Amino acid sequence: MGLATCGIAAGGDKVFAALKNALSQRNLQVLLTRTGCIGYCREEPLVSIHLPGKSLIILHRVAETDAEKIVEAVAAETVPQDLALCRVEEWDPIVGEKLVFGTGFEDIPVYDEIPYFAPQRKIVLRDAGLINPEEIEEYIAVGGYSALHKALTAMTPEEVIEEVIASGLRGRGGGGFPTGMKWNFTKQEKSLQKYIICNADEGDPGAYMNRNEMESDPHMILEGMLIGAYAIGAREGVIYVRAEYPLAIQRLTRAIAQARDYGLIGKNIFGTDFSFELTIAEGAGAFVCGEETALIASIEGKTGRPRPRPPFPAQKGLWGMPTNINNVETWTNIPVIIQKGGAWFSRIGGEKNSGTKVFSLVGEVQRVGLVEVPLGTPIQTLVYDVGNGGIEGRKIKAVQTGGPSGGCIPASLFDTPMDYEHLTAVGSIMGSGGVVVMDELTSMVDTARFFIGFTNEESCGKCVPCREGLKHMLMLLDKILVGKATESDMATLEELSGVIKKTSLCGLGQTAPNPVLTTLKYFRNEYDAYLKGVP
Amino acid sequence: MEPQRLEEIIGRYPTPTGKILGILEHIQREMGYLPKDVLKLLAKRLELPLSELYSIATFYSFFTLEALGRHVVTVCMGTACHVKGAPELVASLKHHLGVEMDETTRDGKFLLTTDDGEYTLTSARCFGACSMAPVLRVDNKIFGYVTPERIPSILKQFGWEGNHH
Amino acid sequence: MIQVIIDGKTCAAEEGEILLAVARRNGIDIPSFCYEEALAPYGACRMCLVEVVKGGREGITTSCTLQVTEGLDVLTESPEIIRLRKALLELYLAQAPRSESIRALAARYGVTRTRFTKKTVRDDPLQNRCILCGLCVRVCRDVMGVGAINYIGRGQFTEINTPFFEENETCQGCGACAEVCPTGAIAIEDIAPNRIMKSWSGTKVPLKTCQSCGRYFAPSPFVDNTLEKLDTALKAALQDLCPDCKRKEMTRQAILLSTGTPLPMK
Repeated sequence: MGLATCGIAAGGDKVFAALKNALSQRNLQVLLTRTGCIGYCREEPLVSIHLPGKSLIILHRVAETDAEKIVEAVAAETVPQDLALCRVEEWDPIVGEKLVFGTGFEDIPVYDEIPYFAPQRKIVLRDAGLINPEEIEEYIAVGGYSALHKALTAMTPEEVIEEVIASGLRGRGGGGFPTGMKWNFTKQEKSLQKYIICNADEGDPGAYMNRNEMESDPHMILEGMLIGAYAIGAREGVIYVRAEYPLAIQRLTRAIAQARDYGLIGKNIFGTDFSFELTIAEGAGAFVCGEETALIASIEGKTGRPRPRPPFPAQKGLWGMPTNINNVETWTNIPVIIQKGGAWFSRIGGEKNSGTKVFSLVGEVQRVGLVEVPLGTPIQTLVYDVGNGGIEGRKIKAVQTGGPSGGCIPASLFDTPMDYEHLTAVGSIMGSGGVVVMDELTSMVDTARFFIGFTNEESCGKCVPCREGLKHMLMLLDKILVGKATESDMATLEELSGVIKKTSLCGLGQTAPNPVLTTLKYFRNEYDAYLKGVP
Repeated sequence: MEPQRLEEIIGRYPTPTGKILGILEHIQREMGYLPKDVLKLLAKRLELPLSELYSIATFYSFFTLEALGRHVVTVCMGTACHVKGAPELVASLKHHLGVEMDETTRDGKFLLTTDDGEYTLTSARCFGACSMAPVLRVDNKIFGYVTPERIPSILKQFGWEGNHH
Repeated sequence: MIQVIIDGKTCAAEEGEILLAVARRNGIDIPSFCYEEALAPYGACRMCLVEVVKGGREGITTSCTLQVTEGLDVLTESPEIIRLRKALLELYLAQAPRSESIRALAARYGVTRTRFTKKTVRDDPLQNRCILCGLCVRVCRDVMGVGAINYIGRGQFTEINTPFFEENETCQGCGACAEVCPTGAIAIEDIAPNRIMKSWSGTKVPLKTCQSCGRYFAPSPFVDNTLEKLDTALKAALQDLCPDCKRKEMTRQAILLSTGTPLPMK
């Protein structure tokens, strides 16, 4: 039973209880267990059934009232075909041996024939929805911690970093900085104490891949961090998770305790000289804490106000010590790179954009959920092939990518490959991978106002362009929305946007005007309409 | 909060990493808010200026300095929820709970408690349940695909009897 | 020693020195509100932006955070810098419409009006003059070691005051906050037998009386904690000052004492 936050909210907990109840009334050899989410959130609640030697069958939109029917079918060694979404004959968890489920149920479509899954390539979400995230044994069974074993026993820290550099992996939190090079900065610092941090303060509204990664497969993050710590020479790590994700915190906490029991965290891991401690620090609701210096301040128990760089965290980070920070999804790729090699990884995706990215496809699109595709996949593949276009036949107008720092990309540019450079070229960014679809009923001016409202609320208030500038941008947008703005207000809005970008202290302010600038660029007509009064 | 209990909470955070926010979050979860006297006691205990703790408590949106209602209704204000109609949910909730927003309060952020102290209506930035937008949470339970029409039936699960108009 | 070029002028500097300090020493006046030599660079007011032309990461950066290296070549008043500075000054004029120092600096750049809505808060404890540069917060906490005031809230709703907007018992009444404030926002008044920190929720600090003539002259906690540490020559020098200047000088000396940076007496 898929029981990540989304599955639970869709009623999965009730289905789980009903299944448990139905099973308790029969004497069957059935294991009922919980998994994370395979990413097809629109179809939840999802239940997967595996009968010995048969294909794994994924049931969708399962209701509490279906429990009896499901259990009856299982008792008869079959599945309720009317609830079936697809079947999986075998699965590649990449770091481990291929999982062969079996055959049968040929009337049910195969997993990769389903349009939602067909363009996807799962590396980050390799185990999501298949293993029980609360049991370390299940992670180990699909090859988990084998990459850590390889790194610790057969590779030097330098070789680990070389492999990560060779993979071409870039930061998945937004900046896209090459991960291996970043590791090197901290590695080269001379210090007795160094830290690594996992940034799990997923703040972009509309992006929730990190939540699912933590809830569905927490050990892959731990394993990635352990390998990174070994390469960099850090003995302590911190996972900084936003407080809005209680289930993620709970599963990570459990994962850390289990890894400690297995000797995978603590002293002399795998009998080597390498020792590592890992703790969780909770964020408390501040978007700006995604910025590295603000995040560090927050862990140190201060308000999350960014400070000027240099010194960079790699030189002076947590408690003044060299510190390397990577996003959740960046860490999850590490075990794969170590196990399969940097060269293998670099062949996936596009040029200078190797690997996959998990996007959260949400908003006014038919099929919503988490979609993992190779970098460089065009926007239209996501919106039309995976997402199946607009709801009730409505025309899609734009997508907003990259959260509040990103921009709105019009449908005419949907052939744009989703990679770091191409998204930047059209005025948006990759960010953490949020893709919010907007259709013909969505007002782009209102959307721009939503984002400025957001960043205005979330600005830490330290530097004047971000604090005062965004406030005045918001006032100008409100004036536009009530139909009282003039051409000169529009010019002021545009000029102010440029000033904020150029003069702000940190990335929040430097990117906050993007939603306005891109809508001004691509949807000027919608602003102009407001100049003549409320349309 | 008894000083003894505060000591126990402090004792759970032995290392400086994540300590102060951790303690404040713990108090907030236990008390529902950060009472003034507890903050004053904590400042003395940690030998920190009270201004520092007050600054933290007012910086992070997770913290509140006011007591909350018995049930807390939180509307997600993420992008997907906004596009899918979160503002209409807020309007409907305000109507059904009989709370009004002071026009001078913050833009996207509000904290409104019914006169009888039963319900607090507030907002959050994103629950990460965007696939079922618009989303709201009552206490710890998340509801997806919410429409204004569904609001009364959701509230009824938490003892609401339509008497807050 | 290394050489850096500021507005075409070659200046000698120590490697790693802050560019803003080097410029000022060489008579080049880069405007700034949040910089204070005795405190760590803060980078908040953005007024000291300069354009790096050569010898560093090219582009626009704040000179209060820029550490100089050999061959660094910067412009402090390039057309782009002036354009940005004027825009920022418009924001400041809207935020602190009552501040004369802001108006004067804006006028220097030919900015006499702002396109943005002016802040007009009735009974603003900081007199519609505060620009949240944070010098008062930092000097109170980092220099005086008190921390009576701090930022409250965030973003556009940020303000500076005492916790819970209550009279603060830790405030020593030293007035360092008012001393460093670049916009004259902080109001302090001595009404015997107390000093009233009007901007800080009306915090009252008892004044000490002169043992000789019985006049009130300085806040007791401040005298007890700080003045005692000053040497006798300084104490003597202070005697020749009027009460206002004495308060300022004592504050300056207190800053010196805690940072160890010698500043000449004004």
